[in-house]
Amino acid sequence: MGTPLELVWGALRLDPAAFRSLLVAAPGAGVGLTVVYLAGLSLAVGQSVVLFAERVSPRRFAATLGVQAVLFLASFVGWALAVWWVARVGFDAARPLRDVVAVVGLAHAPQLLGFLILTPYLGGPLQSLLSAWTLLATVVAAAAVFDLGAAQALACSASGWLVAQLLQRTLGAPLVRAGQRVRAWVAGIEIASTARRER
Amino acid sequence: MPLLDPGTLALVALAALLLAGALSPLETLGWWAGWYGDPVDEREIDPACGSPDESDEPAADSARDAAEAGAGTASAAPAASPWVVYLTGIQAVGPVSYADPDRRLLARLADAVPSGRVLEVFPYSVTNRALTGERTFARVWRWALRAKLDHRRLLQLAGFLINLRNLWQVLVSADRRYGPFYSRGSAELIVRSLRRRGYPLEPGPYAPRIVLVGYSGGAQVAAGAAPFVRQRTHAEVTVVSLGGVLAADPGLLAADHVWHLYGTADRIQRWTSWMFPGRWRLLPWSPWNVARHRGRLSEVAISPCDHTGADGYLDEHARARDGRSYFEITLDVLAAIARGDDEPLPVAA
Repeated sequence: MGTPLELVWGALRLDPAAFRSLLVAAPGAGVGLTVVYLAGLSLAVGQSVVLFAERVSPRRFAATLGVQAVLFLASFVGWALAVWWVARVGFDAARPLRDVVAVVGLAHAPQLLGFLILTPYLGGPLQSLLSAWTLLATVVAAAAVFDLGAAQALACSASGWLVAQLLQRTLGAPLVRAGQRVRAWVAGIEIASTARRER
Repeated sequence: MPLLDPGTLALVALAALLLAGALSPLETLGWWAGWYGDPVDEREIDPACGSPDESDEPAADSARDAAEAGAGTASAAPAASPWVVYLTGIQAVGPVSYADPDRRLLARLADAVPSGRVLEVFPYSVTNRALTGERTFARVWRWALRAKLDHRRLLQLAGFLINLRNLWQVLVSADRRYGPFYSRGSAELIVRSLRRRGYPLEPGPYAPRIVLVGYSGGAQVAAGAAPFVRQRTHAEVTVVSLGGVLAADPGLLAADHVWHLYGTADRIQRWTSWMFPGRWRLLPWSPWNVARHRGRLSEVAISPCDHTGADGYLDEHARARDGRSYFEITLDVLAAIARGDDEPLPVAA
């Protein structure tokens, strides 16, 4: 296994070897989760306009970014679980969950550039580009971890994403709402308006 | 990997460009969020220009002047006493133009607009801080300015950093996410500047007409600020884009009229019209096209000039076929718009 920076660089270049090298290393899941947390932090910075618009203080701003990164991490774990389950059930490809977390986490490396969404006028296209890049990296990662072809890996990743979305909107809905409340509480904004919307 | 590998250099340059872009909205957002307190540098507002002898004129006197100007005919009052606010191009580093052609234009415009005032506002900072003033990277900008004013061509390229920095601010103004904040900040600077020069801010029938003249990127800032300036002053607001680098900003619809003046050899304003989709003719619902269809936006070719420098809008040597220099043509057209002349604009023959 290379250094974390080499792994991230490999993931950005969609190099399957970077993902495979995580499978033979003990701290692979740790690397994957760290990448996802930092990617969540970077995305939170990129999408922070709403915090500025609400005139959040610098201290609350920093704390809210941290909370958003944790929520992103939680959402990722749901997705990784769904991919792991879909691969097992739909494609008869069983791998330890920690391997899935490691490689799908590393596939979020493009989102480390999420802060670039702040770029004026180009923010929207850059966000789409980063999403597409992450999807491609996830397909490469799924192919590497489950030893699948490209089409199967795409189907596996997409199905996993759909299952995760379904779970978020049904069984996981109370958790999502709780996360939003924590975020609003930390930011010191919208607690009343969030509650109104929920009623 | 070789140190000067062109691919690596291109990647580093792209990364630096994007990083600068990502950081560019932070001044505006931080200002809006109140992270800097009230950082507007009042010392920098309203540098004496155009008519320096009037810079200390009490507000009441100017209000009286405005009322007197309107005493003859109410409808003629706003046009008779226009206030011109000039927002310069992206080469600027602070509230006072260092470029001689800009300064000459402002002085001549003040002479050409009877009883009018000509003010200058720095359009690329909502806190009105000069790049070379109290900023973290002030030394870098001072170096870039020295490089820009240097006669050596290579060093002048380094001065392009200033243009790049201000271009990002133009895009901040044009961005839907940041534009409303940036435009409010710019309008606040414009109104503060007007007030300090004695513009009567109280609502009344004789609010003097305000003409926002934006050169190059300044046009985008002028268009964005127009609705907020109008809201604060209750005045008729005319936006003039001189070779404007501007998007189809919703603010265009708040202006009483928008004049987009351009030179036929100005490729930059032409490229800009391609760069911002809202200016494409195939999007009839964009603010640009709506204003055009309502007859409130006029695109006028004023001369065969280029965007800047030699053969630019402010070139005093290059001449059109009617014998006037490009500078004189630009001045004549701006003055005619500011005065509200009924005759066709005095463009190059």
